[in-house]
Amino acid sequence: MSPCPDLEVLFAELEAGEGPGLDHAAECEACAAMMEDHRLLEQDLFRLADPLPPPSLVVNVMARVAESPVPQRREVWTGLAILLTSLGAGLGFLFSSDQALGRFGTGFASTVGNSRAFVEGLFSGAHALWSTAGVAVACFIAVVVLSSLFGLKRLVGSPPPSLSEA
Amino acid sequence: MNALALDSLPMAIGMLMAEDAAPLPWKADVQAARKGDPSAFESLVRSVQRPVYGLALRLLQNDSEAAEVAQEALLRAYQNLHRYDDARPFDLWVLAITRNLCLDLLRRRTKVRTEELEPMKEVLPSHEASQLDGAIAREERLSLEAAMETLSVDDREVLALYYVQKRTTKEIAQIMGCAPGTIMARLFRAREKLRKKMTPAEEETR
Repeated sequence: MSPCPDLEVLFAELEAGEGPGLDHAAECEACAAMMEDHRLLEQDLFRLADPLPPPSLVVNVMARVAESPVPQRREVWTGLAILLTSLGAGLGFLFSSDQALGRFGTGFASTVGNSRAFVEGLFSGAHALWSTAGVAVACFIAVVVLSSLFGLKRLVGSPPPSLSEA
Repeated sequence: MNALALDSLPMAIGMLMAEDAAPLPWKADVQAARKGDPSAFESLVRSVQRPVYGLALRLLQNDSEAAEVAQEALLRAYQNLHRYDDARPFDLWVLAITRNLCLDLLRRRTKVRTEELEPMKEVLPSHEASQLDGAIAREERLSLEAAMETLSVDDREVLALYYVQKRTTKEIAQIMGCAPGTIMARLFRAREKLRKKMTPAEEETR
């Protein structure tokens, strides 16, 4: 007779319904007895039941629910409503006052002018860096891009959050 | 030759692995609870309180801590109801929260309070057929419960979810956040450890 198979192999074959381990177990008293032990143990385990929770559990939970802050979704809607109201009030004030509108236009033009100068400076700096240390910069960018892609891949591949942070 | 186990065990396993195409009885209550209906949430609490408390008790082995964790888990479920995916069974979601809270608490524990384990045995019930058989069944159950208590949290967890709560391997995988294919192996290992605890003399035979 072949030697007794590893127990995990035997039970994997039992799930599959066939395999050399099962053929062996059909002829081996030790394996058959062990499997019978498992069968009886399963029977006993299936008879176990969850305990009844304390009668006060539901009452306590509902009391805490009544005290707890409003769920976040409602807070989000409230925040959004406040934001939209503020935005509407601001825009209303702007369009109802020529002076305020003029100040806003001047400020906006100034911001656009400054940001254009900032972007041009940024590009010229990047160009200078590239012309002096092109290889090092390319390697650095490649590492950043690859590590970001790897991170994204892991993020996409991971199971959805199970509220571990909840 | 004793080939009895070869025929019956796969049937039991296969039966439990079959996926139930269950409806979504909690969906209406969840939607109502999200709109602020407390009675709808109370209905949800009532439907899941027993498995939630049961899992907490199996993992923590302390009834007062289990009750506290069950309360906390249900409260967090309420507070995070907007994050719950309706397509997923509500009970599994709450059980996953309960499990995480239990594991957090276990990590924080500095020592096992063994003196509190004894009363727990009296709390855990079973499906006793009659009072006549009750005494023997109760003794067997207590020895099984006692053996289970000596197992690791991981082993207790998988045994409780599969055998006590009658969850499928896929459901257990959802609760534990692991691949369904690993559950049967974990279950087998846990059961084998339990078998050795129950029948230590037979360990030498293999």
